[in-house]
Amino acid sequence: MSSAGGALIVTLLTLTLIKSTPIIYAALGGVISERSGVVNIGLEGMMIGGAFTAVLFSGMTGSPVIGIIAGIAAGALLGFILGFAATVFKVDQIVAGTGINLVAAGGAAYALTLIYNQPGASPQVSALGNNFWILVAIAFACAALLHGVLYFTPWGLRVRACGENPRAVHDAGLHPLRLRLYAVILSGALAGLGGAFLSIGEVNIYSDGMTAGRGFIALAAVIFGRWTPWGATGAAIFFGFFEALQYVLQGHISWLPADAMQALPYVAALFAIAGLVGKVRAPAADGIPY
Amino acid sequence: MEAREPLAPDAPALELRGIQKAYPGVVAVGGVDLDLRAGEIHALVGENGAGKSTLANVAFGAIKPDAGTVRAAGTVGLVHQHFQLVGRLSVWQNVMLGREPRRGWRIDARAGRERVRALARDNGLEIDPDAFVDELPIGVQQRVELLRELEREPAVLLLDEPTAALAPAEIDSFFKTITQLAARGTAIMIVTHKLHEVLAYSSRVSVMRHGKIVARFETASTSVDEIARAMVGGELPQVAQRSETAPAPRFSVRNLRAGTGSVALNGLNFEVRAGEIVGIAGVEGNGQTTLADAIAGVIPFEGEMQRPPHTGIIPQDRHREGLVLNWSIVDNTVLGRQRLPSARRGILVDRRSARADAEAIAQRFDVRAASLDVAAGTLSGGNQQKIVVGRSLLGDPEFVLAYQPTRGIDVGAAALVQSRLIEARNAGAAILLISFELDEILALADRVLVMYRGAIAGEFSGANIDRGRIGNLMAGSSV
Repeated sequence: MSSAGGALIVTLLTLTLIKSTPIIYAALGGVISERSGVVNIGLEGMMIGGAFTAVLFSGMTGSPVIGIIAGIAAGALLGFILGFAATVFKVDQIVAGTGINLVAAGGAAYALTLIYNQPGASPQVSALGNNFWILVAIAFACAALLHGVLYFTPWGLRVRACGENPRAVHDAGLHPLRLRLYAVILSGALAGLGGAFLSIGEVNIYSDGMTAGRGFIALAAVIFGRWTPWGATGAAIFFGFFEALQYVLQGHISWLPADAMQALPYVAALFAIAGLVGKVRAPAADGIPY
Repeated sequence: MEAREPLAPDAPALELRGIQKAYPGVVAVGGVDLDLRAGEIHALVGENGAGKSTLANVAFGAIKPDAGTVRAAGTVGLVHQHFQLVGRLSVWQNVMLGREPRRGWRIDARAGRERVRALARDNGLEIDPDAFVDELPIGVQQRVELLRELEREPAVLLLDEPTAALAPAEIDSFFKTITQLAARGTAIMIVTHKLHEVLAYSSRVSVMRHGKIVARFETASTSVDEIARAMVGGELPQVAQRSETAPAPRFSVRNLRAGTGSVALNGLNFEVRAGEIVGIAGVEGNGQTTLADAIAGVIPFEGEMQRPPHTGIIPQDRHREGLVLNWSIVDNTVLGRQRLPSARRGILVDRRSARADAEAIAQRFDVRAASLDVAAGTLSGGNQQKIVVGRSLLGDPEFVLAYQPTRGIDVGAAALVQSRLIEARNAGAAILLISFELDEILALADRVLVMYRGAIAGEFSGANIDRGRIGNLMAGSSV
C-alpha cells in the first residue's frame, strides 16, 4: 500500500471516530429514553440546546469544562420538559418532542442575536482543543456503562419493563412515570453532551444549523442498533463513517457536487432503516403514554 | 427464605365493609360486605358489569372506594384476567420485578432464578425460569402471573377470570395448585363466570348483581341452576332452537395447507353448508388459529378455498383483532365494513348508516353502554364481545367464522351470543364455530370436526356426536 493511501485511511478512520462521537451520545440518549417507553424525537433540539449553552458558558467563564457541563445540564433540562410533558401531562410524545426541536432551534438563533448581536453564528470561545479526544473515549465508556445499567441493575430491568408494559411495573409496586422521567432526563443529558461536543469539542463556535439533523440520524441509529447501547453505538459509527467519507471524498473527487456528497450519511441512514422495516421490533410500549 | 406464618384455618383474612364505588353514570359497587376466611376458596360470580372486577380491585388496593373499609390480614395479591407481564423479559425477571435480589450494584440473577424455581416447585408448577414470557403458551404465562403474586406470600389471593384462556387440562392443573394453596392457609377468591368450576372447586359462593351481593351460598348445598338464577335475577335466557334448513354448500376448503411448525395445517378438506353450524373441537394450539387466519385472509395458504363474498368474522381476541379500544362503538361498527356500498356515501363513510347499524347491534344484543359514542375499551368484556359478534352478523352474511365467540363472557351474554348465532343459522347462514369449550360445540354444532395437530382427526354429526369419543380424539388417541 502506498504511503499516501495509508495516510488517507488513517485520516478516514480518525475522522470517523470524531464524526461518530456526537451521534453516539445522542443515540445512547435515544436508547435509554425509548427503552423506558418514551420516543425522544427531541434529540435534535436537545443537541442544539447543549451545543449553544456550552458555547455560552465557555465564553462567559473561559472554561470549556464548565461549558461542557452546562451543555449537559441544558440537554437534561430539555429532557425534563419532554419527560414531564410525556408523563405528567400525557402529551403525545412526538408532538412534545417536535416542540422541543422547534423551540431549541428558534431559541438558539434568537439568543445569538440577543446575546452576541450577531445572527448566524457565535464568536469564538475557548474550546477543548486536543482534549476533545477525552470526550471521544467517554462516549464509548458511556455505551459500556449504559449496557451495564440496562442489563445488570435493578433500575435497568425496571426501565426495560417500563418500555414493554408499564402496567406490570406499576403492579410490581414501582412508579413507571418516575422511571420514564428519569430516563428521559438522562437521555437529554447525553444528547446535550453530544451537542456540546459539536460546538466546543470539534470547533469553537455555535452556528445555526450546526447539528444538521444529527439528532434524527441518532434516532435512526437507535433503530438500526435495535435499541441496544452497543448496537446504537455501532450504528452511530456506521453513519459517522459516511460523514467522514464525504469529507475525504470532497478533497479527491471533483466531478460530483459537494452537496451530493454531503448527503451521504443521510442516504446511508435512509437505506439502513428501509432495509430493516419489518425485521426489528421496538419496545412494546414505546411512544404510548402511561 | 423465611416463609410467611400461615393463618389459622377459618381466621378472617379479608374483611370488606360497606364498599361503595361509583363512576360517572354508574354505581359499580353499591355497598358490599364480604369476608374471606383463611383456607377457603370463595367464588364471586355475576354477570358482566355486576361490579365483580371493581370489587376485586378495591380489595387489592388498585381502586380507592368512595366509602367503606378494607381490612386484610396480610398482603393481597391479584391475578388479572388480562395478564400484566413483560413479554420480552424472562420468567424469573417478571416474577422478581421490583424485588430483585442484589449482589452489590448488580441483580443477582442466580438467586432470582433459584427463588423462582423453588417457588414453582413448592406450588407444584412446572416452569423454566429462563424462558421468555412471550414465547410461552397462555396457560404457562398464567403460571408466571401466579408465581409473581405468590412471591409476595399473600394472605389473600384474588383471581379474576383465571381460567378464561386455559385449555381443559390446564384448568385441572390450575385448580390443583389453587386447592393446595388454600390448604396451606391462603384465602382465595375467584371471580368467574364458569359455574361448573365454581361448583367443583369453591367452598362458598357470593353472587353479585347491579353492584350488590344478592345471594350467598355454601357450595355444598347449591346448584348451577340456583346460582345462575341469582345472577340474572330470574329465569335463565333460553338459547334459541335450531330449525331444519336446506343444505347448499356455502364454504369449502380442499387440501388446505397453511402455517408452519406445530400449528401448520396439513391438507384440510371440509365444507360448511347453508343453515349449518360446523364446530371445530380441539385443544388450543392444534392449528385452529392458523385455520382462522387463513380463512380471514391474514396469512397465505395453499389449496382451494371457496368463500362467499359476504363473510362475517368473529376473531378470537376482541382486544387485538376485534376492536379498536379507544374508538367509539359507532366507529368500531364501521371497522372492516368501510368498503361496503351500504357503509359509504361517495368517498366518505356514511356516518348516519353507521350509527343506525350501531343502534341495531345495541338493541339486538342488549349492549349496555352510556352512549354509542363512548370508547369500546370502557365497556365490559361481554358488551365488547356483543359488538364484535353483532358487527359480524350485520347484513345477514352468507358465511360466518366464529372463533371462541363466548370467550371470557358471562352466562347471560354467552346465551345471547349463542342464540344470535343459531338464529343466523336458521336464517340460512353457514357458520364455522371454532371453540376450545367442548360444551359450546356440543350445544351449537350440527356437525363436529375434531382438530388435532393441524389435521381433522374425526367427524361426527347428528346422533353420532359422542362426547367421549370426541374427547379422546382431542387428546390425540385414536378411537
